[in-house]
Formats: sequence, C-alpha cells, structure tokens
Amino acid sequence: MATVLLDGVGAVGIRAARQLVDTPGLDSLLIAARGFSYAEDVAASLGARAEAIELGPEDPLPAGVDAVATALPGALVPSRAQRAVTAGVPFASTVDEADAIDTLLELDEPARRAGVLMAPGCGLAPGLVDVLARHAADALDTVDEINVARAGSAGPASTAAVRRARREPAVEWRDGDWRDERRPNPELVWFPDPIGARECAPVTVGVALLVSAFPGVRRVTVRLAEPLSRRLAWPGRRGLDEGWGSTRVEVWGWRGQTRESMVYGVIDRTAIAAGTVLAVTTARLAGIAPGLAARNGPSSGVHGLAALVEPVPFLAELARRGVKAAVFEGVAVA
Amino acid sequence: MKALRRGLIVAVIAVLVGGFVKLRGKGGVPPTSGGWRELDGPDFR
Repeated sequence: MATVLLDGVGAVGIRAARQLVDTPGLDSLLIAARGFSYAEDVAASLGARAEAIELGPEDPLPAGVDAVATALPGALVPSRAQRAVTAGVPFASTVDEADAIDTLLELDEPARRAGVLMAPGCGLAPGLVDVLARHAADALDTVDEINVARAGSAGPASTAAVRRARREPAVEWRDGDWRDERRPNPELVWFPDPIGARECAPVTVGVALLVSAFPGVRRVTVRLAEPLSRRLAWPGRRGLDEGWGSTRVEVWGWRGQTRESMVYGVIDRTAIAAGTVLAVTTARLAGIAPGLAARNGPSSGVHGLAALVEPVPFLAELARRGVKAAVFEGVAVA
Repeated sequence: MKALRRGLIVAVIAVLVGGFVKLRGKGGVPPTSGGWRELDGPDFR
C-alpha cells in the first residue's frame, strides 16, 4: 500500500487524481492545491481514499509519502522537485516547458546522491511520446532519427506554454550536436483524425530527454502545433479538436540491412491522456503497479519516460484505462 | 507617377507570389496509402 501526494488539480491534475484513486494498492491520495477549499471539494468528490492537505511551497513533505505527482505550471515545479529530492521521494511531473525541464535536469546529480528517481515529462509530449519512441526503437536494431509532434494542450497554462515554446528559438539535435533553429521552419504533420494535418513548428521542449534516452541517435526534433484560437479557427475545425490532443512519433532506424521507419500516434482528450500518463507513472514510482516492470536502466536521477518504463506493459496499462495508441500502417507517398 | 505605378505593380506581384508560396507551404509527406490501427492485445504480448 502506498501514499501519493498530488500537487495541482487543474485540467490534468484532476484526471490524474481520478486515475490514482482507482489504482489498486493506493492507500491514500493527498491533494494539495492553491486553494484549500478547492482541494477539499476535489478530495470529497474522489471518495474516502483522497484527503486534502494544506501544503505551502516551502513546507516539508508530509511523512509517509511514497511518491509525488505534480500537475503545475512550469515555474512552480522546480521547488516541488527540490523538496522531493530533499525528502528522498520519487517525483513525477507533467511539465512541458523547456526552462523548467532544464532546471529539473540540473537536479540529476542530487537525485542520484539521494537515490531518487525523477520523471519530469509525464504528459502527452514529453511523456507518452517518449514511451512510443522506445516502443518503436525496441523493434529496430538501431535508431538514428526521432521526430515527435504534438497538437493540443490541456488547460490555459498548457496553451500559454505551447504558444511561448513556438515563439522561442528552437533547438534540435543533429549529427551529435545541438543546433539552434533561429528561424524555425514549420512543417505539416499528419496526425490521426480528427486532428488531421496541422502546421507544427520546431521547439526545444522534450528534445534533451529523448537525446539522453537514446545514446547514438543522430537527429531528434520536437514540433508543436499552434493551439486553435477560440476566436479564429477554420470553419468546421472548431468543435472537432477543441480539447483534443494528438501526438505523432516517427522513428527511423535499421533492421538488418534495411532502413525502416515506424510511426505511432495517439488521439485523446489532452487532459485525460496526460493525467493518465502521470497517474500510471506515479503508480510505477510508488511501487503499486507490479505489472509495470521497470526498464533495466537507471534506479535514480532525472530521466524521460523512454528510460524509465518498459513500453509494452505501460502502453497496455494505458489502453486498459482508455488511452490507446495507434500504429500507422501503410506507405507514405509524396 | 510612372515610378509609383511600377512600384504598385511590383507590390501586387510580391503579395500574390508570397500568398501562393504561403498557401503551398512546406510540408511533410501526406500519408496517401494506409491508415492508423489501434494497438491491441497481440501488440502487447
């Protein structure tokens, strides 16, 4: 039995909370939010295993917590991560902002010393895309290129983060080195329907996690689609993908003498998919998901999901909870 | 007057060419054959 602390119950956090209380082996879910009365309301709606707590950013972690999950804006995450490292408790977050992830990666050494595992990207992208990239890589002998794209955001903070990421200079990993993309070149990416084709701009967020999980990879790109404005959308588009999110993961590599590509995708409500990924990862870190075998890899430090989980049981668990990945079968023809 | 007219013509052509290029865009490869299949039981064994 385990106790999990969930910090932040916005669009993603509330879905993660529901998934966590439905996880066998969870003894208690402690919920912290900006407003205690809101946390109390959420806890009351989740049943007896959920409990609201008052926890300021500087307060120490309550005793007996086995894992911490955060679904907070990027600026608030590093202090929570530092607190988890200090307490020696595993930590998972849905953060999808490059600066915040960089700050969390700086905690790698302290986390290793404390013997703590930290998973900074546990949403759709970074997060589920890393698992899909690992799933594709496991089917190949070697991997030399990973191209990831995401459309959709979960809540206002996530939408603002996507817009900011698209405005900032992008970084991609090419030929074993970091390359600044001062004039990022948007590209059409075909997501599963109903998202379809969307123009996606290269961004920095999530690239470093993939590069560290796939040593030897020659090229890694991450692209994000512009969130649709409430005021300006193509006729018929609004309503089709409002609230929906999708990812597309294209992995190139070699199987024997043949160069092959594998393409995986997901389409779901962005908040639901991200919340489910956060919950399943947290369950794995808390040790209450025995079916989710840990990948033979790091036992401490800061890592993306591609280094932390075995993709097959992880994807099966997501599918059991309703978040289903898909594979593209066919030939891409120019 | 002549220079102004030339300038206007050049501006109109630039806008039309720019619009055409923007509409055509630069893109990935449309998947014209095949489709998406949900991962299911056998994929997870």
